[in-house]
Amino acid sequence: MIGLDAALGEERAEPWLPWIVIAGLAAALYAPVLYPASGLFFGGFVSVDAFAGFFRLVFIVLAALTALIAPPYLGRKRVPAGEFYGVVLFSTVGAMTIALATDLITLFVGLELVSIPTYVLAGLQRRDRWSNEAALKYFLLGAFSSALLLYGFAWLLGISGSTELSAIAAAVGRAGIADPAVVVALALVTAGLGFKAAVVPFHQWTPDAYDGAPTPSTAFMSVAPKAAAFAAILRVMASALGPLQLDWSLVFALLALVTMTGGNVVALVQTNVKRMLAYSSIAHTGYILSGVAAMAAGASAGAAVLFYVFAYGIMNLGAFASLIYVDLEGTRGATLDELNGLWTRHAAGALSFTIFLISLTGIPVTIGFLAKFLLIQPVLDAGYVWLAVAIALNAALAAFYYLRVVVHMFMYDPDEKAPRIERARVLSLSLGGIAILTILLGILPDPIYSFALDAAALVVIR
Amino acid sequence: MIFERPLLENVLTLLVIVPLVGLIPLLAFIRDERAAKQVALVTTFVELVVSLVMLAQFRVGEAGFQMVESVLWLPSLGIRYELGVDGISVFLVVLTTLLTFVSVLYSSAGVIKHRVGEFMAVFLLLEVGMVGVFLALDLFLFYVFFELMLVPMYLIIGIWGGTRRIYATLKFVLFTLAGSLLMLVAIVAVYLASGEPGARTLSFQELVSGGTRFSPTFQFWAFFAFALAFAIKLPMVPFHTWLPDAHVEAPTAGSIVLAGVLLKAGGYGLLRFALPLFPLGAQAWLPIIILLSVVAILYGAAVSTVQKDLKKLVAYSSVAHMGFVTLGLFVLNSQGGVGAVLQMINHGLVTGALFLFVGIQYERTHRRLIADLGGLANQWPLYTTFFGIFLLASLGLPGLNGFVGEFLVLVGAFRLEGAVSGAVWGAAAAIGVILAAVYLLWMFQRVMYGPVREAYKALPDLSPVEVACAAPLLALTVLLGVFPQPVIRVIEPSLDRMLEIAAAASAVAAR
Repeated sequence: MIGLDAALGEERAEPWLPWIVIAGLAAALYAPVLYPASGLFFGGFVSVDAFAGFFRLVFIVLAALTALIAPPYLGRKRVPAGEFYGVVLFSTVGAMTIALATDLITLFVGLELVSIPTYVLAGLQRRDRWSNEAALKYFLLGAFSSALLLYGFAWLLGISGSTELSAIAAAVGRAGIADPAVVVALALVTAGLGFKAAVVPFHQWTPDAYDGAPTPSTAFMSVAPKAAAFAAILRVMASALGPLQLDWSLVFALLALVTMTGGNVVALVQTNVKRMLAYSSIAHTGYILSGVAAMAAGASAGAAVLFYVFAYGIMNLGAFASLIYVDLEGTRGATLDELNGLWTRHAAGALSFTIFLISLTGIPVTIGFLAKFLLIQPVLDAGYVWLAVAIALNAALAAFYYLRVVVHMFMYDPDEKAPRIERARVLSLSLGGIAILTILLGILPDPIYSFALDAAALVVIR
Repeated sequence: MIFERPLLENVLTLLVIVPLVGLIPLLAFIRDERAAKQVALVTTFVELVVSLVMLAQFRVGEAGFQMVESVLWLPSLGIRYELGVDGISVFLVVLTTLLTFVSVLYSSAGVIKHRVGEFMAVFLLLEVGMVGVFLALDLFLFYVFFELMLVPMYLIIGIWGGTRRIYATLKFVLFTLAGSLLMLVAIVAVYLASGEPGARTLSFQELVSGGTRFSPTFQFWAFFAFALAFAIKLPMVPFHTWLPDAHVEAPTAGSIVLAGVLLKAGGYGLLRFALPLFPLGAQAWLPIIILLSVVAILYGAAVSTVQKDLKKLVAYSSVAHMGFVTLGLFVLNSQGGVGAVLQMINHGLVTGALFLFVGIQYERTHRRLIADLGGLANQWPLYTTFFGIFLLASLGLPGLNGFVGEFLVLVGAFRLEGAVSGAVWGAAAAIGVILAAVYLLWMFQRVMYGPVREAYKALPDLSPVEVACAAPLLALTVLLGVFPQPVIRVIEPSLDRMLEIAAAASAVAAR
């Protein structure tokens, strides 16, 4: 799908790289329009359908935005740009593979193809020890979770004698939850996928990995692999383990509650904005997970998850990328004090950052608000009133730390020690563009939401 | 009211759009203070004129919604962009545009000294939310406007506020947001309960057509969630603690619209949505709300009496006045309801004006503590006259507007039947009126009379701009006090309709 990868590693014409990447991604987005094929391919290993199509859109958009926001940071930290873009593209291919998968093997290959490049992304700032630590932690725990997941897949293979999702669904449905083997498989798969998506209590790697990684890597890592993890969760939990929905639903609802609350409570006490956003991304995992728990509500649940994944993707990428403005040593993100008076120092940057934070809080008219509105629907529909109330209270809690950043940017004056502010036009333009998108899709979400509904119809549990 | 045929088509959408259009040139000239002020003044003035046109083409005596605009907004969800006004909201819209214009006029006369362009931009954004809240007929749209008021007010207090502004603004936002997010859950629940998938709606008119469709348990909790959000906004007594902080720290213009308009959004929300949609829930919670209203009246008055800070005194008096609003709404009869709506309008005019005058005084003396003031009457005859009249209106002197609303609320309260006779509640609330006279007159005496301080002797009386700000408010205060009948005639049919909807819905549910 993307044949440009190989060429990129060699290029030294750095300024052109992001545009080549974007051209390639645009071609990839356009390709299915030229060859409108859908159905099963490669002996039933992959399925080209609306679900895959939706995630392809998500991943391509996220990769393209990453390419747009990265250059100033890569330049000033001397991070090898060729490798950066190449690795991002590899990861994107992996993510799309997951969305296409109808078979555990394809799915696992996709997951690894997402994960391994992201380990590299975390450690790309080779001379920085935080970056090294981030990569190592991410790698060790990632490998561990892959092993768990693979072991769980092995149990599923043992139960059903097949790696095809539909065959597994049939076998699992026959065996039922009374079969201890099914319980073991369910637990292992949940834990393995939970690691990938950063669900509490499998989230320990997240803050350090996000905090230590170079900031553009963090922006990408916090959205694309998470979206990929949710593609995997939807495929596996809905398609393969759908018959057991009644049994795992409550577990997922509880995990969602613990994840959103845990993420928010710890985020409250952070003074470093990058680390705070890392914990906030855990909280958002919790919100999305409650949509998965509500799969009984039908297509609206899947659509809410997909819409939220898209919304989270653009607003969270924007929020992390906004930290690129502040030039600090190593991979460190700005503290609250270092953002003091950003409004007077770089108005456009402060404004777009504020829009992302408001969207993350879930205040209208932003895509983040609509995502929450759409998410609460299936959660209530599935009967989890307490979870819906928890989402609301958590959003209010989260408002405290998101708005505190706004306080520092708008209501305090910068002091003498204020760090240098990057003035890169492309960065400002692309963040401004994402901010406008955040508001525009908050007013007119129908194109994305209808697409999400179509896509979700394919992973409904019957 | 005046025009038989509509003068302006789509006047309500125009009301939402005018401030947004004004934002475009404003953002272009954001660093140019003069231009920013002019753009903001012109925009809010045009908005005021448009709202007066709306008032002029309002047909008196009709109970239903007028000038309704309805477009399918989110087709996949059945959510509509639906605007309309009736007798309840029509004056609140005009009140909003008037107070916004006054606030911008006052602020542009040199009170706001830094980041003037930004201030004006945020104010226009705030106006979109405030006007929209009173116009929206779809719950989703209402929620969007309701929350749209939040961030601008957060910035207004946080950037242009006093010394403890950041504490105050965060408290304001977190209180409000906690309530409104729970209301969001209830709105989604209403949506799910409104019909089968594909036929769901959040349009108020569709939700109330043909009686209620919600079970008593559902109504109990949905009303709770709605009422909580509005009770925080209003604010009702245990949720009022954000209000004094927010008012004390807010710049004068912020205080004016906060007291004049934002609090009204709470009372309006109760009347427009919570009561007709969940009448059984309202019945269930009614004793508690009546009790809290009377507590608010007495507590607000008592606490006002002991305040040392002038602005805090006016803030706590708002708590007491809002107690009259909730009392009037929940005695569930026509007098009480009309009185509550009048009280909202009157409180907006009078308390808005009181905050304006406290602000004017503070700009000159830089003191807000009552003990530091005194003898201003000799220095500022004009100021004293204006301030005195608004003060008398606030304490409910007959002949001024405050009296009419409070009187009707008390009449409504006396007619309330229940375990505890309405006379008890009415009498308790009447004590609140007496207390209001105590703390307001005592404050006036300490601030205006007595020996004048040397430092204040050179301070000038009201400037022409300040008179221009206060004059329309004063005119309406007197006018509404002497001729309340035309306004009541507009409010009453729509209010009765809301009560009928509520009664019909409970009858359907009881069957």
